[in-house]
Amino acid sequence: MKTRIVISCAGLWLLSASILAAEPSAQFAKANQEYAAGDFKAAIDDYETLVRAGQDTANLFYNLGNAYFRKNDFGRAILNYERALALDAHHPEAEANARIARDEARALELVPTRSDRLFAFANENQLVVTAAIAFWIGIFSFAAWIIGRRRSRSAFALSILSLSLFAIAVVASCQLSRGKNGPGLAIVTGDKVDARLATADNANRVLTLPAGSEIKIVSQRGDWIYAALPNNMRGWIPANSAEQVRF
Amino acid sequence: MSMFRRILFLAPIAIAAMQSSLPASPSVTAVLSDSQPAVGQMVQLEIKVNGANSANVPETISIDGLEIHQTGTSRQFEMHNFDVSSSATYNYTILPLKAGQFKIPPQMVRVGNNSLRTPELVLNVAQGSSSSGRSAGSAQSGQSTVGSKVAFAELVVAKKDAYVGEMVPAEIRLGFDPRAHGRLQEGPELSGQGFTTQKLQQPRENLETIGGRTYQVYTFKTAIAAARPGKFEIGPVTAKAAVVLPRRPSAPRTTRPRSPFDLFNLDDPFSDPFFSDPFGSMGERTELPIRSEIATLNVKPLPPNAPPNFSGAIGNFTMAVDAKPKTVQVGDPITVTSTINGRGNFDRMNGPALEDERGWHKYPPSSRFKQDDDVGISGEKTFEMVIAPNEKKPAVPPLVFAYFDPVKENYVTLRSNLVPIQVEGGAATGSSAMAAPAVAATSAAPTATVAVTPAPTAKPQDILYQLTDLGRVRSFTPIYARPVFWIAQLAPFILLLGFVGWKIRQTKIDNLEAQRVAALQQESTELLRKLRRTELSPQEYFSNASRVVRVKTALVKNVNPNAVDAETAAKAFDLGEHERAQLRTLFDRSDELRFSGSGNGAATISSDEREEVLRLLESLHA
Repeated sequence: MKTRIVISCAGLWLLSASILAAEPSAQFAKANQEYAAGDFKAAIDDYETLVRAGQDTANLFYNLGNAYFRKNDFGRAILNYERALALDAHHPEAEANARIARDEARALELVPTRSDRLFAFANENQLVVTAAIAFWIGIFSFAAWIIGRRRSRSAFALSILSLSLFAIAVVASCQLSRGKNGPGLAIVTGDKVDARLATADNANRVLTLPAGSEIKIVSQRGDWIYAALPNNMRGWIPANSAEQVRF
Repeated sequence: MSMFRRILFLAPIAIAAMQSSLPASPSVTAVLSDSQPAVGQMVQLEIKVNGANSANVPETISIDGLEIHQTGTSRQFEMHNFDVSSSATYNYTILPLKAGQFKIPPQMVRVGNNSLRTPELVLNVAQGSSSSGRSAGSAQSGQSTVGSKVAFAELVVAKKDAYVGEMVPAEIRLGFDPRAHGRLQEGPELSGQGFTTQKLQQPRENLETIGGRTYQVYTFKTAIAAARPGKFEIGPVTAKAAVVLPRRPSAPRTTRPRSPFDLFNLDDPFSDPFFSDPFGSMGERTELPIRSEIATLNVKPLPPNAPPNFSGAIGNFTMAVDAKPKTVQVGDPITVTSTINGRGNFDRMNGPALEDERGWHKYPPSSRFKQDDDVGISGEKTFEMVIAPNEKKPAVPPLVFAYFDPVKENYVTLRSNLVPIQVEGGAATGSSAMAAPAVAATSAAPTATVAVTPAPTAKPQDILYQLTDLGRVRSFTPIYARPVFWIAQLAPFILLLGFVGWKIRQTKIDNLEAQRVAALQQESTELLRKLRRTELSPQEYFSNASRVVRVKTALVKNVNPNAVDAETAAKAFDLGEHERAQLRTLFDRSDELRFSGSGNGAATISSDEREEVLRLLESLHA
């Protein structure tokens, strides 16, 4: 009797789990159909619902970007392509479409820093994992060297090598987080947004930013954000005219 | 040596003298401070003779409707790298008496044997109040009763009307009577709101004769740009100067002799006897505030319908464009250099834009500015923009630069020519090549857009397909900010603790084993020494000898010495038959003597037997 109850409960749990898992996929498929039918607004609504439900997948943001592109909202299209690339740095479709959208919008891009170019082979997470592995190898080797019966040179060399790699990976990770693709990266969603010298609509203009332009948020004050601009200058832009890539 | 020094000292003087004595060809210019005054508004006429320090100019100019008087002369000497130049400026005031257009005919200026003629000037006088005063664009302020002749401040704004953002040149002139040894302590400061001013440069200093009096005049140049439309009050200019004024004598004024400077018995402080006899009484250093009058500037808004590429440049400019290198691969960078030359608000100027950016990847431009004047409104601004072709392209597209010309009062769009280049690699796309002229046509003539039919291939590239797989849910949070990352670090940490604990335990165990081995070695050595030296009873001797064998075997085989018998020992040391038999005999004798009592057998051991046992024991090596 007890066995039956346990089997029934497990079955119910599996069923509910599969239903819950199938629901986002079904909504995703529905949004894709709406997109295929040319109903981009409905597709955007459904994709956005999935995003609000926490379904942060690279493909979802990519499809959402496509839907915005079709609506000629290049700013939000580029924003969602960037989000797809933030989740999956090697998303070829997102990369290609982002390039096309940028060309269409004539969007300005932040100039990659020297660190961005130097550590372009890896992303921040990969560097953090590398740092963690190198750290533990280094610590184990050092411990083996310290408490071993014989002071092994190879253990010492391995510990030095690993701890050096750890230091390099940590520095690289910090540099990347401060660089172009760091957490401050935002995309201008409004069209022809004026970056100004001060937090006032009549303050002197620093640069006019087309939709989809990249900026790096430095700080926020009320309804204004202070951002690094693509021309290596800084300026204030209204907070509602740009969205951060990573949320 | 002294000769050489003399030559060194005299050579520059001689060169300077030669330079100054060289007759430079003189020239003459004439400018009006304002060409559109109202009736009653005074205008300054300045006739400047370059290349000479004196000239014969007409003292009066007679034109019906204008009252023109010469007011003063100033002379300037400048020396740059031993190149001495001189000029003389003759100032006139013009008071328009009635409205209308007046032409000031060319005036004859005689410089030595040369006769020069000033250009013809036109003055458009509008109806206005006949109240006397200076031109609207300039202002002059006298000071207190004393200061009125000691120092003055003047603000000269070049224009009365300007556009928002337009750079208007302005001059601040501070004049001091040379006898007052005026020294500027604060300022000058230009007050007012709604406009920006360029940083004041180092002043130009010269002597000017104004109204028959000589002044040491400091001229600061700047430029003003209004931030919004409206009527602005510029100034006043304020400054503080320290001047030396004579002390007033207590005697009645009438008794004071008149100064030769005070020809008309004006209230000249330098009529004081101090100036005729500096040792007779002391002067007084006084702080003198100086203040000019206010100038007004009417600022108009820029006309609507600015071209799409207009970014705020106001003035008059020309553009030159070049691109390098001319042969590249697809994706390679090309540096496009555009040079904007002219006069205007360079500080608010953005670089020219590509007319058609399709198929190009561009990077934000950098710029540098080389100014030709003191205040930075004239010069050359060079923009360098790096672009990279995404596909084969025959030329770099034209660059477009739009500005507002305040003289013509309209927007001007400069468009560069195509710069032919050769792009190697990649596929040429006809659609983008087609799109370029269409866009060029629309931007060149906005009214002609209806004539341009949008091509079906307006979008040269289309985005890629939708993806059907939702994919794996991931997080934007960096991995180091997730709890799971730090929880995962517990695993190697626990492993490390285990590893260290195991190592410590192992070391301890190794230490116990070492202690046991040391004790056995010590026991073996001690027993052998006893066997060699001490006269032992046969029971003790054989017991000790068998113990040595057991201990040595235990050291070799790492076993308990009490569990070792003759066979084990023989195996451990891999002994031959003879030694094996000896060992057996040794153990048997030991057991016999131990268990049967000491009464059995001989009471002593022969030396041969002792030697034989010792040899056997010493031969036991692993």
